[in-house]
Amino acid sequence: MADDRKRLFQKELEVKFTKEHGDNKMEGGEITDKKVTYYRLGVDQNPRKVEMKKAGQDMAAARGLVGYNPMMHCGGIPLGQRAITPSFISGTDIMVETDDLHYVNNAAMQQMWDDIRRTTIVGMDMAHETLEKRLGIEVTPETINHYLEVLNHALPGGAVVQEHMVETHPALVDDCYCKIFTGDDELADEIDSQFLIDINKQFPEDQAEALKEAIGKTTWQAAHIPTVVSRTTDGAQTSRWMAMQVGMSFIAAYNMCAGEAAVADLSYAAKHAGVISMGDMLPARRARGPNEPGGISFGHMSDIIQTSRVDAEDPAHVALEVVGGACMLYDQIWLGSYMSGGVGFTQYATAAYTNNILDDNLYYNVDYINDKYDGAATKGTDNKVKATMEVVKDIATESTIYGLENYEKYPTALEDHFGGSQRATVLSAAAGSATSLATGNGNAGLSAWYLSMYLHKEAHGRLGFFGYDLQDQCGATNVFSFQSDEGLPVELRGPNYPNYAMNVGHQGGYTAIASAAHAGRGDAWAVNPLIKVCFADDLLPFDFTAPRKEFGRGAIREFEPAGERSLIIPAK
Amino acid sequence: MAYEAQYYPGATSVAENRRKHMSGKVEKLREVSDDDLTLVLGHRAPGSDYPSTHPPLAEMGEPECSVREMVEPTPGAKAGDRVRYVQFVDSMYNAPSTPYFRSYAAAINYRGVDPGTLSGRQVVEARERDMEEIAKFQLETEMTCPALASLRGATVHGHSLRLPEDGIMFDMLDRCRLENGVVIMHKDQVGRAIDKKVDFGKPMSEEEAAKRTTFYRVDNVAFRDDAEVIEWVHTVFEKRTAYGFKPE
Repeated sequence: MADDRKRLFQKELEVKFTKEHGDNKMEGGEITDKKVTYYRLGVDQNPRKVEMKKAGQDMAAARGLVGYNPMMHCGGIPLGQRAITPSFISGTDIMVETDDLHYVNNAAMQQMWDDIRRTTIVGMDMAHETLEKRLGIEVTPETINHYLEVLNHALPGGAVVQEHMVETHPALVDDCYCKIFTGDDELADEIDSQFLIDINKQFPEDQAEALKEAIGKTTWQAAHIPTVVSRTTDGAQTSRWMAMQVGMSFIAAYNMCAGEAAVADLSYAAKHAGVISMGDMLPARRARGPNEPGGISFGHMSDIIQTSRVDAEDPAHVALEVVGGACMLYDQIWLGSYMSGGVGFTQYATAAYTNNILDDNLYYNVDYINDKYDGAATKGTDNKVKATMEVVKDIATESTIYGLENYEKYPTALEDHFGGSQRATVLSAAAGSATSLATGNGNAGLSAWYLSMYLHKEAHGRLGFFGYDLQDQCGATNVFSFQSDEGLPVELRGPNYPNYAMNVGHQGGYTAIASAAHAGRGDAWAVNPLIKVCFADDLLPFDFTAPRKEFGRGAIREFEPAGERSLIIPAK
Repeated sequence: MAYEAQYYPGATSVAENRRKHMSGKVEKLREVSDDDLTLVLGHRAPGSDYPSTHPPLAEMGEPECSVREMVEPTPGAKAGDRVRYVQFVDSMYNAPSTPYFRSYAAAINYRGVDPGTLSGRQVVEARERDMEEIAKFQLETEMTCPALASLRGATVHGHSLRLPEDGIMFDMLDRCRLENGVVIMHKDQVGRAIDKKVDFGKPMSEEEAAKRTTFYRVDNVAFRDDAEVIEWVHTVFEKRTAYGFKPE
């Protein structure tokens, strides 16, 4: 490969590291310089830090209790950092303060997780069969439309069946709704368009055909409970909330007797049969119910992100959007908060979706693969290269060395990823995703991930934190063992897979590897067609086709989240 | 024929230096006095006794144990020293050592050590006087350049940042400085001020650092040019992968 190719990150790093931002005085120099002047200006060089410092001072004055004070770093020793520089969101021209990529500061990130946690998919067919066979009630498209009208009143908290009872204010729960989808075009034509996720409209033709074939004549409800409810409770609340309203809506819509025995059968069928949670329940030691991030498999997460239906011809882009979304969810929210209660995990995650460094590595790999393996990284099934050890070694080695050399040639790239864990994520995600793209085999990609770790450690004599040094040196051994207690296809692994439970900085990469295998083949979904269709819905507040752009909009405070409570809060 | 350990593959100067670090046969380049070492480590006052968390082994009345009798305790264990640490940070700009090679050097050449390896730092925990022996060895030899490596108990990210204009690895807490052509430490490894400036001598020139480093860099010895090392990594990878592959 020619070494004079234009790096995707060059422009971003030139703006980031050689221009002045706020008052950091970092203007000048080249991104290839190994030496630089350190001004040691501390937090006052950064606009967001200045804003936060003032907020901390105001808060302390108002409440008579100290709070945020950036001079508290290192036990009272002021920070002497070189500069605090903003970052570009990869694949966009949005430049953001990195503080604004902490999920607490970013409404889009919160909404992405809200939209996943508050979603459940519930089958309609068993409920319909119960109505027809047990009660002799005729189910027609008209009755389904009527039921959906009732449900969209009841699901946000409107009362049905009973007399007027306590209800929720509709403006606080306007993000709550239910649509349906089916693989049956005839039935879909009869459903009121407001209630339908139209597979034919949302997906490219080939993907739509594959999805409809997989779903067949079954019908499914894609339900989203109110954001404010799921924020107040937890992911396990989603199916409970849906179950209650679904039961009441069937009773109301089909004029059933609320006390009759058949209602018990209907309730079971409507509430529990054919329920798809986004995440599995975790064992008691992790103490989380379904629909919490630790239970979301990498395959489910791959399907939740929707880039594959809007940019199917660029499978590398699909993997990169998946890595962004999944790094945020798994690192920033799951590992960073649920599992550890920490703050620094944001830094691991943002390395994978800022400043086009991972993008550059992956697109270099695409060129390398297409040159050497006759277009194997382009979308398709007949163009794939066989997933052999030789292919894994070749692609992972070239990818990793290319990435390592970028850190060696561009000191600002190294400075951007100033911790080995960040570098290890980026290099291995690139190697793994590229191998997935070329082979259409996620476990070959996973294998490349581990080889990349070995090469990285050997080249630089260092890797990441202990999680990398331990887990990534034993991980190769479980890649191709599919015995039930030892291994799984990457699509079915998740944050709770034994070797991955505390793999900080890894899980977004694993998800991209799973997704890249299928995006590379042009598959319509990775592991679950129902989840893929459920999130193909433009009414969701978060745009799952472009998670990185959404994070950027959140960071520059342009994203409008759901579940706001201003209606019930005194105005200031 | 006596067995001679073959520590590392590769034909390049980097591979050769890695072999050298692991073997412990490294060149001594400078002197660091015991008091200066104690000052920069910051665990106790220079000249004071080693604080003890255990009585000396001789006073413990240990039960009979054939294994215990076979293994001579280290001086620190024998005396009942508390466990303390030394932590190095090595720049990625041709610092002589890298975290893994500091760990290998400690683990291969010393007993009773617990080396920890991360991206930016390498920590060795051991009984205090044993730890000091290792720290002194690493500081005085070609394993360390005072400009491109330093003792840091906290704030280690300078290992991957660009070098300041004077070539001394960036240190957020300003523990090390170049003064009159030599590198001094005026704070201990966690950044607390100390009573005197400890002199670690002259920095290595860029040429000398490039010659002595164990770090592969594309502008010095590129990793991809050491085919034997890459082949060896591939072999390790293949064997580990095959070990877990159970198709039945």
